[in-house]
Amino acid sequence: MKLFTKFLLIYLAVSVVVLGIGGIISYHIIKDEIDRELKFEFLDRIDRVTYLLEQGKTFAKFRELDQDENLVIVPLDTFKENDTQVSDTLIWDDRFERDEKNVKVSAFRNINDTTYFISTYGNMIESNDVREAVISILLWILGLQVLGAAGIGFVVSGPLFKPFRNTLHRIQNFQINEKEYLKAEPTNVKEFRDLNIFVEEMTKKAVSDFNNLKEFAENASHELQTPVAIAKGKLELLTETNLNEQQYSYVEKLETTLNKLSRLNDSLALLTKIENHEFSTNETVNISKIVKDGINAFQELLSLNNLHLVTDISDSIMLKIHPSLAEIMWSNLFRNAINHNIQNGEINIKLNSDYLEISNTGKELNTEPSVLFERFKKGEQNSESIGLGLSIVKRIVDQNAMPISYTTVKNRHTIRISLKSVKID
Amino acid sequence: MKILVIEDNQDLLENILTYLKQGGYRCETASDYDAAFNKIMSFTYDIALIDLMIPGGSGLQILRELKSARPQTGTIIISAKNSLDDKVTGLEIGADDYLTKPFQLAELHARIKAVYRRNNLNGDDVVRINEIAIHTKKMETKVNETVVDLTPKEYDLLLYFSSNKNHVLSKQTIAEHLWGDYVGHLDNLDFVYQHIKNLRKKLIQAGANDYIESIYSIGYKFNVNRRSS
Repeated sequence: MKLFTKFLLIYLAVSVVVLGIGGIISYHIIKDEIDRELKFEFLDRIDRVTYLLEQGKTFAKFRELDQDENLVIVPLDTFKENDTQVSDTLIWDDRFERDEKNVKVSAFRNINDTTYFISTYGNMIESNDVREAVISILLWILGLQVLGAAGIGFVVSGPLFKPFRNTLHRIQNFQINEKEYLKAEPTNVKEFRDLNIFVEEMTKKAVSDFNNLKEFAENASHELQTPVAIAKGKLELLTETNLNEQQYSYVEKLETTLNKLSRLNDSLALLTKIENHEFSTNETVNISKIVKDGINAFQELLSLNNLHLVTDISDSIMLKIHPSLAEIMWSNLFRNAINHNIQNGEINIKLNSDYLEISNTGKELNTEPSVLFERFKKGEQNSESIGLGLSIVKRIVDQNAMPISYTTVKNRHTIRISLKSVKID
Repeated sequence: MKILVIEDNQDLLENILTYLKQGGYRCETASDYDAAFNKIMSFTYDIALIDLMIPGGSGLQILRELKSARPQTGTIIISAKNSLDDKVTGLEIGADDYLTKPFQLAELHARIKAVYRRNNLNGDDVVRINEIAIHTKKMETKVNETVVDLTPKEYDLLLYFSSNKNHVLSKQTIAEHLWGDYVGHLDNLDFVYQHIKNLRKKLIQAGANDYIESIYSIGYKFNVNRRSS
């Protein structure tokens, strides 16, 4: 529900309640006012009758004065003190065929030793009419309020909330790796200004945190490589001394381990970089060339491992992707296919404008193949690989919105990457 | 050959110096920006090894100063940052080579020799090891005037051995030199053995001594004093 719709509904609900209560109050105030006016007029009339009687004028028992049909003037036999009573009484109304509330004024007046009973009643406006008038007034007000609310809503959702919508739009388009915090448009509305200041501060902090993290990842990688370099150098110097076979094999094992550590460090740094979207510049890359160059670079390894290569590669497939990422992706995939192959195995590579597919013979998997995209997940836990190659591939294809699938049928592993989202026709 | 090593880490510096001194080089060191600046302005070196992260300034700045003051000095950047930007910037400024930590000392040595050959001898150098002569410009190898037909990888391997004569080179080191980044993730290093075997066979067939010594079948050593029985 839009803010404006919600505002309008609340406004109307409140209006209906307020107008309802206001209507009841208005009805009573108007009715009381009318009744009081009527009472004063009746009292005036009684005073006039009294005056006329004092002047010696005589009346018939029922007689009209000032077109008052209900005036009663009766001389009494008994004596009563001067008295005036105002009361409500129900009188049958012929027109509406029901009892209608009327104001009645009765008085006893002693004039020339005779006590007169003077009384009259009536109503100026029926309460029905008052009610109808009040309701119709209220409906008019309600109608005008709906129009007013719609007008306010239009202004609110239009120019008034423009700074808010601008800020929202900027937040939606905010990219943390652009290294720029979010600068909002100036506005004279305090709340929006507060929001803008908050968003500015928050994005400044996010950008600086991001940079710190990036710096940390890079520094950590740097700081780790130096000790590894020292250790490797010392080992090299150690091999220059006279070592026996066992000592030498220890040194060799240490060297292999250090290499693995350094590779691990490189791969983690690379993963962090990819995750931090540091490779977001999209350039046009000839993937056909990258695939072919990769194959050439590994040619010797293929023949040494007696692997049979079958390729079906279309020329000049152009992709919109960072060139380093394309190369890393392909070399990881291809290396994977060689390393996890079997003696006299086979590698099939297929590249066309729709997908890139590499399938190889290998050992049967005990696990779900897609698990191997996770970090440090390996087909065989004791293998020399560090288990980050496929997670790097996964990160790269995810970032470029390329769907990837890994399927195995017996000992044949197939990875297929759809190129639809990045291909350039 | 005179080499300036600009590196702030004392242990790493010691490794490099020990290894290079065995090869008969004259080495000087600088461990911060000011010292490095003073040295490059006051003396001439054949090769400068420059660490990118040094106290007091940037290695790239030193590289710039060096290239404008003494363009004939060969430069090799050593960096722990495997970042593409630094590599591209370094090579654009005019560094001759770029090496990422952790590197093999043998590899560093081979690169120093290659840069020296390119800069000072116009690439036209004949590396001689007893009866073997390697003509680096023509990429040709001769044993007593007999041309040995080597594949590019075998040639590279021989040149690498010649740069690191009498040093023990592990299979891993050799593989990394021949294959660069690709090999870093390979488990099976048997292909190194294949290349060594072929190179050895070709050299012996051409009449050379059998210099390549297997060290407990883990590493190899090009022993120039070895005489085949």
